[in-house]
Amino acid sequence: MSVLRPFRASDMFKFNNVNLDIWTETVTLRNDNEMQYNIGFYLHYLSRWPDLCCVQEAPSGRMMGYVIGKAEGQSLEWHGHVTAITVAPEYRRLSLARKMMGLLEFVSDQIYRGHFVDLYVRCNNQIAVDMYEGLGYSVYRRVREYYGSLGVGKGGRDEEDAFDMRKPLSRDPSKRSIRPNGRDMIVSAHDVS
Amino acid sequence: MSTALDRQIRPIYDALDTGSNKSAIVACNKLLKKHPNSNLLKALKALALVRTQKVEESLVLCDEVLGSKPTDDSTLNAMLHVLRGLGRHNDMVTMFEEAYKQQPTNEDLGTQAFFANVRASNWKSAQQVATKMHKQFQEDRYLYWNAISVVLQANDPTTPPNMRQLLYKLAHRLLSSSSATPLSHTDRFYLHLSIFKELGLVDEAAALLDTEVGQLICSANLSCNELRRDIMRLRGLLKEEGERAERLITEKDDRNWLEFISLLDGTFSYLQTPSEDTQDECSKHIVHTQEVLTKIAEKDGKKDRSGHLALLELELRARKHGLSTDASRLITLMRQYFDNFGDKACCFEDLKPYIFLEGEDQQTWTSFLEDVNSDVSSVNNLQRVINSYKLLRHTLPASDITLEAEGKGAALYVEQYFKALPLGQALPATELQPADDLAILSGSVLVNMWKLTGDQQYLYRAVILLEYGLSKSKQSFEMRLILIRIYRLLGAPSLALEHYRLMRIKQVQNDTLSHFLFSRTSAFSLASTGDLTLSTECIEASQVYLSNSQETSDFVIRAFNAEKYSQIPEFIEFEERLDNSLQRDMTKMEHLRMRIAHEVISSDIIDMELIELKFIFDRQHHDNRDFDILPNYQPQSIDTLNKQTILFDKAEGLGWLWTFLKMYIRIFMMASDLDDSIEEKLLVGDRPKLSLDPEKRRPLKERIVDCKESELEELTPEEHLLVQYTEALAEWLEPYHDYARPPPDVVLAEAAKLTEQKTGFPLKGVEIPPQNGKSNGPYKKDEEAPPLTEPPEAISKFFEDMRSQFKKVKDSGDYSRTLHTATLIQEAFLLLATASLRFKATSVVKVHKLGGLVAKLKPIRVEAASVLEEVSTALSSLSTEAGSAEHRTAISEVDLGYSEIDKDFVNQVAKKIAESRKTILEGVGKGVTRLCTTYTQ
Ligand SMILES: CC(C)(COP(=O)(O)OP(=O)(O)OC[C@H]1O[C@@H](n2cnc3c(N)ncnc32)[C@H](O)[C@@H]1OP(=O)(O)O)[C@@H](O)C(=O)NCCC(=O)NCCS
Repeated sequence: MSVLRPFRASDMFKFNNVNLDIWTETVTLRNDNEMQYNIGFYLHYLSRWPDLCCVQEAPSGRMMGYVIGKAEGQSLEWHGHVTAITVAPEYRRLSLARKMMGLLEFVSDQIYRGHFVDLYVRCNNQIAVDMYEGLGYSVYRRVREYYGSLGVGKGGRDEEDAFDMRKPLSRDPSKRSIRPNGRDMIVSAHDVS
Repeated sequence: MSTALDRQIRPIYDALDTGSNKSAIVACNKLLKKHPNSNLLKALKALALVRTQKVEESLVLCDEVLGSKPTDDSTLNAMLHVLRGLGRHNDMVTMFEEAYKQQPTNEDLGTQAFFANVRASNWKSAQQVATKMHKQFQEDRYLYWNAISVVLQANDPTTPPNMRQLLYKLAHRLLSSSSATPLSHTDRFYLHLSIFKELGLVDEAAALLDTEVGQLICSANLSCNELRRDIMRLRGLLKEEGERAERLITEKDDRNWLEFISLLDGTFSYLQTPSEDTQDECSKHIVHTQEVLTKIAEKDGKKDRSGHLALLELELRARKHGLSTDASRLITLMRQYFDNFGDKACCFEDLKPYIFLEGEDQQTWTSFLEDVNSDVSSVNNLQRVINSYKLLRHTLPASDITLEAEGKGAALYVEQYFKALPLGQALPATELQPADDLAILSGSVLVNMWKLTGDQQYLYRAVILLEYGLSKSKQSFEMRLILIRIYRLLGAPSLALEHYRLMRIKQVQNDTLSHFLFSRTSAFSLASTGDLTLSTECIEASQVYLSNSQETSDFVIRAFNAEKYSQIPEFIEFEERLDNSLQRDMTKMEHLRMRIAHEVISSDIIDMELIELKFIFDRQHHDNRDFDILPNYQPQSIDTLNKQTILFDKAEGLGWLWTFLKMYIRIFMMASDLDDSIEEKLLVGDRPKLSLDPEKRRPLKERIVDCKESELEELTPEEHLLVQYTEALAEWLEPYHDYARPPPDVVLAEAAKLTEQKTGFPLKGVEIPPQNGKSNGPYKKDEEAPPLTEPPEAISKFFEDMRSQFKKVKDSGDYSRTLHTATLIQEAFLLLATASLRFKATSVVKVHKLGGLVAKLKPIRVEAASVLEEVSTALSSLSTEAGSAEHRTAISEVDLGYSEIDKDFVNQVAKKIAESRKTILEGVGKGVTRLCTTYTQ
């Protein structure tokens, strides 16, 4: 059981148990994006899309996980985006990520009227890739060198490349926003926003 | 501006953008020759000057530009950056308000004037600007800016509490005057609701909430829904809220725990008016809720814990109200819960609120846990075993926690750890190991055994096990944190630092987690030998506060632009908490303590530090330190692991900071020539707003001599001695300093002269008085020097006491305590040097006839130096001892009680501890000698 509530700026004082995790640390650490290093990262999202940012909290007040998202794109590309989703190790496999994704999809659909939701994930983050597939996402393309290294050695291509994964929303009943052979569509990091 | 000039200015912007400030200055100078009156050029030059730390020169230009009341965009924009760099938000406000006044139809200038006030937290003026803008431009958003400014003024800590209601009423009036519907915009809706809530206008709130759109907003917006929930409570509609929650849970599969809480609150809401009827009514509802929850639990099975846990909570509450109908239900539910979720890591935490049982219940529960199959050959079962251990340990009564019992526990956990370790063999290095918690459990028990006996061998054993655990589970930050604590206890600080760095602390974590490194860190500093490792760490960690003061307000402004009214108060609170962080200033204090051991103490250092310390002394601090991050599996009947591993067994906080601030301010004020009037003139940025706290409004001189028992409780006995010593020192020397200190106008004239020499311009607003035929010599007062008095006994007693304290502790094997004692004696010596700095100048002594005083100071210094020499010698021999083979063996030969960790690994750990100790003892010893030489000559 967990409390689902809005992400507040002051949650930055209490999310250590979540953020000390190595995946989380680097989820949004794009090689061309230094945002993550300053407090501006979270404030940037909260100042524009607070309804796409939420926290799961234990009744004790301990933070269990959070999701940070945004809405972006032009016309048919207008969509919700998951920038970071993470659950503290001791609270994994309790459907928390599933619920937070559900909320983000709901708001992207109902409030923002987006056509789809998308996200980037390291190709070697098997657990996350599997989870997204389980939630109805599919690979739209592979982005070369989207991320920096994790710094734990022998990562190779899969560590630095990202899958751009998408799931169509109700505004895209014909599922134009996805394609079957996404894993073979390779683009460079400069080509994506 | 002419386009030709425009073209010539572009390279200046480029230079500024790329950080080539010097060439920007050159280019500005060149163009200024041709266009001596160009405000833009002056502003750009001022910007380049600020960025090269040429503050005084920049101020001159800055004032010129401001004096001309600029209105053009480029100049204003450049000035915005100049003034921010200088921390002059008030000037910024004046500048933009002036510009807006001159061009009242310029919407952009209005916005800028509004934002300047926002940056300076001038809510009242912000509100006035917004009012003007709303009148002029007729945009709804300005009405909302107006209203939220009023709300922010109400929330501001400098607003008297009795104004709060009044201001909220004003905000309410403003918004009711609007014709626009709040329903068109989520965050406007939010603002309306929050004002209604504050004023208790629940009917008005209900009218909004009950609209169809209102309901839709709440269903998709967590912030609004949170407010809605609060308002329902205010309306006393617990029953209705419970029914609503029940529908969401059963029909919409909502599993937000908040809904379950609403359901339970609704169930027990009947008891609000106690009578027999209501009891019956409530009992009926308990039965109903139980049915609902049982169905949910059955439906969800292991997929979701909410229904299961809500049943437990229901039963617990029923018991509290004497409405439980089945004495065994709680235990049954707990067992079921464990059966269902025992293989989840959070099971321990979930059950914690329920496990304090009595009598038979306790026995049933304990034997249930003891019977949990101890087989750890599958991950699921391993997790069950771990949960059963944690749960059993948590309720152990203090009487059962004996050395022997703990020894058994430690051995059991380790045994299971090694059995379970292979389960995670195939996991990638990025994953935690499933057996980790067993090592942490065993480590925690070992720490407790150290607490019980004072024997360091238990800490060695804990370190060896946790280092091993970490080698198997590289991402286990929990093990790292415990190791950091233990290494500091063991007097091996470089190893603590190593682990700390591996955690890759960033952004706000520099505030919340840095206490692990910086708590009383000066005891481990080698600054006295020129090694600035820890000082540098302090500075780097403190960057987060700079970026907070420079960036957070940008986001507040973005939130205004995006009309995210729900976020604005949150951002401001965040900024405030970080800006006034307790850890920030504790780190600052430690940095200062290291600084005076490193740099030669001079009046420049004293003046600069004094100004900063006085600012800090006016702050209302927030404690953002995260201690919960340290795992705690100690029984509830004894201290937590956090408490057990605090350095020197004294948790420091505001009281500690306050005491040290007072101590240093008092000594520095005595040693400094600055007084408030001079400081005012020399200050570049804005002053912090005056606090409302009457305590903080008392004169500084009174405040720094206050001494509160509760504050002193946070000090170690040695620190306490230091405080008494500095008090005695200050009381004795203050009259002589007051006598010899030049009067403010003389000091100011001197400062003005220096500024003029440096910048070619006089200091703003300072008249240099005629010299009255006197030369540069020290100022002479007409009155007589205060009579010479004997130094208080407390001064020499301090050195005596510390000498014997040091003798005691140096042979105890407690290296960190030894270092603590040594560095405090050193600090006392440095404070003595600070307090006698004025009397080092022979001319001062001569003119003021203070030779007698100097003669009295000398033997004190000599005595202190002799104690320090002893300390240095002792540290040096301790260091040799720590570097010896015997010392290493003493660590590596501890009886682990198991053989899974190979000897090489153990030897390696032992070697590192020994080396770290050797280095710190040797370094501190040498530093002591160095300081003695510096200040006794
Ligand atoms: C990825 C992550 C967010 C999943 O969070 P979670 O709350 O444990 O996930 P859920 O419990 O909601 O799982 C949803 C589904 O994903 C799959 N899944 C999640 N974790 C899994 C794992 N470790 N192994 C196999 N499947 C897994 C399962 O199908 C699961 O459904 P199920 O439990 O009913 O079988 C979490 O592991 C995490 O925080 N990782 C670190 C940060 C990260 O990698 N974020 C993603 C970057 S884009």
